Amino acid sequence: MNIDEKGFNQDFQFEAPMAPKRTRLQEFWLLFRQNRLAILGLFIFILFFCCAIMGLFITSGPDPLFDPAMIRLQEKLRPPLAKPNLDSLRREEIPCLGFYLMGTDDLGRDVFARMLQGAWVSLTVGFVAVGISVLIGIFMGGVAGYFGQHHIRVDHILMTILLISGAGLVMAHSIRFGAVLLCLTLAYIFYSFFTQNRSGEKSVPSWAKVFRKSAVSVDTLIMRIVDIMLCFPSFFLILTVVALLPASIYNIMIVIGLTSWMGTTRFVRAEFLSLREQDFVAAVKTLGASNFRIIFRHMMPNAIAPVLVSATIGIATAILTEAGLSFLGFGVPPPHATWGNILSDGKNFIFDAPWLTFIPGIAILIVVLSFNLFGEGLRDVLNPKLRERH
Amino acid sequence: MLSFIGRSVVQKIITLFFVSIVSFLIIHIAPGKPSQVDPMNPKFTPEVVERFRKEFHLDKPLHVQYLYFYKDLFTGETVSWKDNQSVLKKIWERFLNSLPLFIVGTIITWTLSFPIGIRSAIFRGQFYDRSATFLSYLLISIPGFFFAYVLIIFVVNQFHVPVIGMETFGIGDGASLPHIFMDRIWHLLLPSVLGATGGIAVLSRYVRSQMLEVEGQDYIRTARAKGLSPEQVHYRHALRNALLPFVTMFGLILPGLIGGSVIIESIFSWPGMGRMAYEAILARDYPVILTVNFVSAILVLAGTFISDLLYLIVDPRIRL
Repeated sequence: MNIDEKGFNQDFQFEAPMAPKRTRLQEFWLLFRQNRLAILGLFIFILFFCCAIMGLFITSGPDPLFDPAMIRLQEKLRPPLAKPNLDSLRREEIPCLGFYLMGTDDLGRDVFARMLQGAWVSLTVGFVAVGISVLIGIFMGGVAGYFGQHHIRVDHILMTILLISGAGLVMAHSIRFGAVLLCLTLAYIFYSFFTQNRSGEKSVPSWAKVFRKSAVSVDTLIMRIVDIMLCFPSFFLILTVVALLPASIYNIMIVIGLTSWMGTTRFVRAEFLSLREQDFVAAVKTLGASNFRIIFRHMMPNAIAPVLVSATIGIATAILTEAGLSFLGFGVPPPHATWGNILSDGKNFIFDAPWLTFIPGIAILIVVLSFNLFGEGLRDVLNPKLRERH
Repeated sequence: MLSFIGRSVVQKIITLFFVSIVSFLIIHIAPGKPSQVDPMNPKFTPEVVERFRKEFHLDKPLHVQYLYFYKDLFTGETVSWKDNQSVLKKIWERFLNSLPLFIVGTIITWTLSFPIGIRSAIFRGQFYDRSATFLSYLLISIPGFFFAYVLIIFVVNQFHVPVIGMETFGIGDGASLPHIFMDRIWHLLLPSVLGATGGIAVLSRYVRSQMLEVEGQDYIRTARAKGLSPEQVHYRHALRNALLPFVTMFGLILPGLIGGSVIIESIFSWPGMGRMAYEAILARDYPVILTVNFVSAILVLAGTFISDLLYLIVDPRIRL
């Protein structure tokens, strides 16, 4: 029997250890390479990344190579590739390329310098906003998926409501009442910690048992929060909040991040619900790994694929949202250029100076397109169900 | 069935309650007061501000303001802070303006994306499919405001028709009826096409993937094997099953009625909901902002409810 098996093996030339020949990354790259559009997207993305970082260095600082804020009123609305009129310019006003690569705007500022400055804004808005939303999404989804079966007691909910309303009252300037509520809540929290440590179930009087009942599971609670967030029309909500807050680039990033985590939460929760039941998680649990280690070392790498895809496409959406906000005149305060506000300033001269509309518009289009193509390519590769069978 | 309806209605009402609280808090805790909108206005003396605050209960604590606001909303007495008109009446007027935009946009979306999606599923991997895919990515990625200007330039230069606003200014007097009609159509066309672009791209991709999934099923192979013509296989056997999820999407387009198009409506000066909301945000007209938010939350919830219900009715495999 043994000999037979050996002969069989030799005939068909099985290699003895059946470990995969390629690493996961190589496998991934081989699949990814077949998708030409996705490769194009990745290429443009890298190019954009380099431009943005380079742009940050050469347009900022005390004496920048390209000064996006340099106003040359005598040189306004020059078309792309136009030579500057050297007689009317002072030495430091001459653009360093010797010509205006993308023309000048209505104040004679170099559009190329402004585009470079705006690239960095688009890049950071995309990445920071998506970073925030992915972090919140992974946290909420992970908690809902992994600890979803735990229940929240009635007293927890009551205390949270009291805490929030207390804080709200303090903010709404009825400080005395709010402070009383806050103190009450804090006292109760200390009390419950204290009794929990002594594991004193017996000390609870019978009337207080109502408060010890479990009300909702963590999973239900988080999913209801997601439902509530989904009820807001997102662009309108972002617009409201950004309009009410003082104008700053960081507010936009944070607000976009805080209003777009729901999708990630749903993905992560769904993945965690199925992963939690799998054998390898049970095995790790029996080995005595902590919850933290199970979640981040063993479950997260398996659940990250859809998050990665939605994050890539989320960056595209965030860049579009920021451009839309800048276009409406919210967001980054004026002297700083973003692609959205270059376009929105330029639209007034659309017939005299079409480049002021078309250059930023096409730049946004190409960058967003590259992120979308790259994200869809990732989805095809990471999701074996969508792969074409050959 | 009845228990499902009851349960989800209760759930949605609870969600709505929390939405109302959250939106109220967001607006009122954010820095800046509505009484400070126009500090340079000489008519804005401290006494006027004080009267203003008293009139709209702004001097009361937050929870009392909340109760006042939603009491007014449910009795239909909410008034805008800006012009003291009834908010519900204002919203209704604007809603009627937005409605044609929404209807035409939806018709364009649904009539275009189905043929495109089905065709690219049938010709999977071929030139048509690949160009349709690329085109739909292009449409998703193009910023709406940029596309709007490109289209405006194109239409105005090629056809010499005015497109901004709901109708040409002053066309009402002296023009013939077909003239007015064509004028309205031209004004309607561009914003609705713009509103539909994203929808066409997303929906046609979805139709394609749904169609591909059904085409891979065993019963399609059976249908081919028994010698049916390709038309019959595609349109009678595959398409009918692929259409199932789209019935539910009728419910999900409902929120588009309101959240639609702040940017497009402001570019085209279209006096619709989105533009009203935008103006309300600029003027810190809290009652209008909150009411729009509340109505759109109701629409979202009603939309999901309708789509759940439709799914129940359409798909007999689902029994709750």
